[in-house]
This record gives sequence, structure tokens and C-alpha cells, in this order.
Amino acid sequence: MRFFLVAVLSCLALPAVADVQAVLQDHVQPRIDRFAQETDELAEAASADCTATGLRPAYQDAFDAWMGVSHLSFGPLEDEGRMLAIAFWPDSRGMVARALSSLVADQDQIVRTPEGFAEVSVAARGLFALERLLYDDDFSGYGAQEYECTLVRAIARDLARMAAAVNRDWDDFAKTMLTAGQGGNTRFLTEREPRLALYTALMTGLEFTEDQRLGRPLGTFERPRPNRAEARRSGRSLRNVVLSLEALRDLARTLSATPIPRSEAAFDEALETARRIETPDLASVADPSTRIRVEALQQRIGDIRETVAAEIGAALGLSAGFNSMDGD
Amino acid sequence: MKRTMTAIALGMAASPALADKAAVLDTYADIAQAGYEDSLIKAQELKAAVEALLADPSPDTLAAARTAWLESRVPYQQTEAYRFGNAIVDDWEGKVNAWPLDEGLIDYVDATYGGATDENLYAALNVVANPAFTLSGVEIDASEITPALLEDQLHEADAVEANVATGYHAIEFLLWGQDLNGTEPGAGSRVWTDYALDDACTNGNCDRRGEYLQAATDLLISDLEWMAAQWTDDGEARTTLMSNEDAGIVAMLTGMGSLSYGEQAGERMKLGVMLNDPEEEHDCFSDNTHNSHYYDGLGIRNVYMGEYVRIDGSVVSGPSLSELVAEADADVDSALRADLNQTMIELGQIKAAAEAGFSYDQMLARGNAAGEDLIMSAVNALVTQTRSIERAVSALGLDQIGFEGSDSLDNPDAVFQ
Repeated sequence: MRFFLVAVLSCLALPAVADVQAVLQDHVQPRIDRFAQETDELAEAASADCTATGLRPAYQDAFDAWMGVSHLSFGPLEDEGRMLAIAFWPDSRGMVARALSSLVADQDQIVRTPEGFAEVSVAARGLFALERLLYDDDFSGYGAQEYECTLVRAIARDLARMAAAVNRDWDDFAKTMLTAGQGGNTRFLTEREPRLALYTALMTGLEFTEDQRLGRPLGTFERPRPNRAEARRSGRSLRNVVLSLEALRDLARTLSATPIPRSEAAFDEALETARRIETPDLASVADPSTRIRVEALQQRIGDIRETVAAEIGAALGLSAGFNSMDGD
Repeated sequence: MKRTMTAIALGMAASPALADKAAVLDTYADIAQAGYEDSLIKAQELKAAVEALLADPSPDTLAAARTAWLESRVPYQQTEAYRFGNAIVDDWEGKVNAWPLDEGLIDYVDATYGGATDENLYAALNVVANPAFTLSGVEIDASEITPALLEDQLHEADAVEANVATGYHAIEFLLWGQDLNGTEPGAGSRVWTDYALDDACTNGNCDRRGEYLQAATDLLISDLEWMAAQWTDDGEARTTLMSNEDAGIVAMLTGMGSLSYGEQAGERMKLGVMLNDPEEEHDCFSDNTHNSHYYDGLGIRNVYMGEYVRIDGSVVSGPSLSELVAEADADVDSALRADLNQTMIELGQIKAAAEAGFSYDQMLARGNAAGEDLIMSAVNALVTQTRSIERAVSALGLDQIGFEGSDSLDNPDAVFQ
């Protein structure tokens, strides 16, 4: 009986469909603005003091801002591979350390110009390359006169440059989303397609946090992989999970024009579960007595996905499209 | 291993019963069967060439084995469009085509390769040189290199995916060796004397290296035999596909979309160019990446057009997904066909440049604008076709598809309780 209800709902255009304009105004734009601003401040901070200890606070703020937008993986962040250049993770082949070591060993002068640095491997750019330089003992002891200082400034400036470009491009892309279905719009052929893009971003973001941010360090019970936790060197692994959930909850709220009590409850449950984890770098995955809390959090995020699919996806007649993590 | 758009469709009446879905699925399964049979035939030719190499190592027999490997990739890559839509293929595929690999697990490598890493303790294990070693605390007797040793103990050892001990790319490494040219032209340059059985043997353990090559080739054949059998009339892949027509059509589109976007455009092409890393080449030892990408693209097109040209030139064809979509929405169909053709043009341009001597690893070099443009044009074409594939899913009324294992699908009541 209820099965039938789902079918009927999904075939009707409900009045409660998401207002793309509201999502752009209330969710996308303020977050993109903030990311641009925080990376700008990071670049300024780096030019004032490039040392690891001096730059860490601005780094943390910039990363927080990134967590507010990292799920917007279509459009300006997809163009030119900016996602990868801003946040190259996971790095299953140890490319970040290798790429940075090679630049440092060669004292590669490509870091001198923004145009030159934009050509460098994404493994030596973005937040994760910067994390390695600021937090890894193998790198972080450099002085203000050393090559690493120039490299740090180049990475910070490159981040600010990309964030500004993303911010600028979103102005146009927002118009493209808002003119969906109109003549000349070849990107979004129907009004439904921008909603589908946002919904896919929501579901993909949940999946990424569940499978990658938590799944990678969890590994298996016999073989946990704490060293695979995202941003563990800067102690942000758990914080990134929490901030991603908060950003995704905000997207879910703005995407649905009607209240979403079941989804709200599922997000609350997951965030509450996250609060019981005591290790910021998720090292507790390796301790059988505390590992279970991380496993529980992962399950709660799976619950969010199912609830969101039923409560928001079904109501909007949407199911997630293909995402960039399809594949292996 | 993600299948976001999973092959479970709600059995709702929204999907219009126009063309004969069963006939479209028949064509799809027939192409799969022909593709895996062709892959098997070519793998048997590879085995004959490997046996000739091991019996009489020489520059000529090594070259002949390499040629057989290159030919074997043509039909196999076209089957990759079956992978993401069909769990039975995806679960099996890792044994046959896993990549990228830490090749130091298998055989000697250059000093620049480094040793064990944080991610992989066994990145430089070198089974060819070591008849006994410890893996994850277990003593392994590798005095004889057998298919069972490769499959059961070495492959994905220590649960690390880069420990690829079997399949096409392990064989590729054994035939070509490491490509040490970076982003300069040139493939791996293993010498034939790596298989010489007397004092001419280079780099040690030639007999064990030959054993490894033989075992990996035998295993490839048994794996392909198994998969070809799954697509025969009573085979599990075919019967699963046919058991639910809407789910079957979704499997076709899922395979097309997931390979186009996340796998080929993202993981295999965009990532490599953005890392400037020649090891991110799909067929890096042999410098065959341009073909690997090209035939992946062609395989996606085969699925949609319901047509496959076999290795003997004969054609397998029948009622197509394209016809089915055209009946639902002619515009969506013609746009998707145009997109698939555009992708083949872009991939063809990469292939043309590579065959003229501008190798794929050169295209990945830092600051190589021409190479980056070639690759990114193909990436963009693949992304564009993915959107058209999503529109085809909608046009067929099949977009109420949810997540694998989701309660809302397995038990639609559950989520409203």
C-alpha cells in the first residue's frame, strides 16, 4: 500500500518542490563567499608569516570554510579539476609527500609565479599539501628564509586564486541553474535538472563522508587504518566529518520547501554520535573498545542517506544521478 | 565498487511499455557473451605466445607475446561497460583488470621506486626473488609460483588494493617492465634475457619470473572462461539481468554512466593529467593507454547502439537501447547518440596523436598544454554524455532508483514506519 504511495508521489509535481533560488541564496552563495574570504586571509597571513606555527590558525579557518562547500562538487568546483587542486584526498599512493619532496629537492622555481604554480601537480597544491608542510615533522621545521616558505605562500595564494575564480564562476553558474529549461540553456534542459544536481550533491556528500572519511580509517576490525584518516596531521578528521554533516543538513533543509523532521532527526542522531568520539584524528578506530563509536557514526550516516532518499528524494521525485565517485 | 544507481528499479508503472525491453536485454547479453568469448580467444593466443617465449626466449618471442597482449586488450576493454551495472562482473573484475599496482610486489624494480610505504608494507616484496616471506604475519611458501598462490595469497595482500598480483596489468609488467621514462616518450624496456634460462639470465630468477608469467596467464584464462560462461543462455549474469526487465535496462545505463564519469573521466583521465603522473596511465608499462581509453569509450557506445564488431570482423547486433530511448523521447536519444560519437572523436584524437608518436605520458607532463587539452576535451565529452545518460534514465521513467541495499528499496514500507 505504501509502496503505491511512493510511486504516486514521485509521479506528481508537488507544490513543495525545492526552490533553486533559495538554495543558491541561502546555502551556496554565503558559503562560497566565506571560502573565498578565508582563503584570501590565509594568503595574507602567509605573506605576513609563512612559518608553520604562525600559519596554522589561518589554515584551520580556511579548511573549515572548505568543509562548508566541498560537497558542491558540480559546476565551478568541477571545472578545471578545481576540487582536486583544492583538496587532493584520498592520496592512496603517497603522492603528496612525493610531489612536495621533489619540489623541495629541486628548489623548483616554478613556485615563483601564480601561472607557473597552477601547472604543478595537484598533489603539491591545495589544503593537503599545505597540511603536510605545516604539520608534518618531515617538513614543518623550515625557516622564513627557506624554500618551503616560498612554497607555502605559493600554495596559499593558489588557493585564494582558485576560490576567487570559483566565487566568480558561481555568479554565472547560478544564472544557468535559474534559467533551466529555457532556450539556449544547454546545461540544464528542464527545471528538474538543477534540483537533481543539488540532490545528487547531497547524497554524494553523505556517501563520501560515510565511505571515505570514515570507511578509510575504519578499514576492517582486524586491520584498522588510522593513518588513512583525512587531515589527521592537522587533527581535523572528526571535525571534517561533523562540518560536512552540518553543511549537508543545511543543504537538505534548503532543498526541501517543507519541514523534514525525519531527516533532521537522522542528522541529529549522527551528530550526537560524533560527539561521543574522543579522538580528533579518529585514532580510536584502532582501539577495539572505542572503535565501535566510529562504526556507529558510520551507520548513522547510512541511516541519513536512507531517510533523505525517502523523505526528500521521493517527495521531489528525484533519485541521485551519477557521481564522480562511481567507479572504484 | 560504488553503484549509486543500482540495478534495482521500483517496479512502478511509470516506465512505458513501448519497445521490447527483453529483446534489448538479449542484445546486451549477446554482446557481453561475444566480448568475453573474444577476450578469452585472445588470452589463449597470449598464452601460446607466452609459452613460445618461455620455451625459446628471444627478442622475437618477447615481441610476439607483447603483440598478443596488446591485441587481447581490444575486446576486453570494450567489456568494461558491463562492469558497474552488473554486480557479478564488478565483483570479479578486480582479479582481471586491477590497476594501479605497486609492481615491486611482483618483481625487481628500479631504485627510484622506493620500498614499503605507509599505505603498503609489501610494495617492494618481489615475489620473483623470494621463495619464502611473511605476509600479514603468515609464513608464505612461494617456492612454487602457482595460480593459487597468486590468487589466494598475493592478490590484494594485506587488504591493499595496489597489491595487484594477477590479471592483465601484472602480465603487462612482466612483459614490458617498468616504464622509467617519466613523461618522456618510451614504454617499459624489459629485455628478453629476463626470461633466459642459462647464464644469459638477467636480473636473476628467470625461471621463477617465467613461472609467474605462466601462472598469471593461466589464471587470466580461467577467469575469462568463467565470465564468458556467465553470459551463456543459462549463465547467472544473463539470467539475473533478464529476471527484471526494468532493472536490466537500468543496469545497462548504470554501466554506461559510471564508467563514463567517475571511472574514465575522473579516476583514469582527469586525475592523471592533474597529477602530471605517468604512473596514472592506465596501461603504463606498455604505453597503450590511448587504446585502453578508446576501447572503453567504444564499449559504452556498443551498449547503447546494440552493436559490437567481433575480433573476426563479424557483427553482433540487435534491438538497441537507443531505439528504446528514441520511442520514449527522440530528442534525448539523438543527443545521447551525438554525445557518444563526440566522445569517440575526442578519444580518437588522443589515439591518433599517440600513434603518431606523442605518447600518453608526454600528454601528462607538467605544462604540456596540447596534451592537457586533448585529454580534458575527452574528459568533458565523457561528462557531457553522462548527463545525457541521466536524461535517458528519466525518459524511460526509470529514475526512481535508489541506493544499493537501501531500506527504501528492499522494503519500501520501512521508511514510512
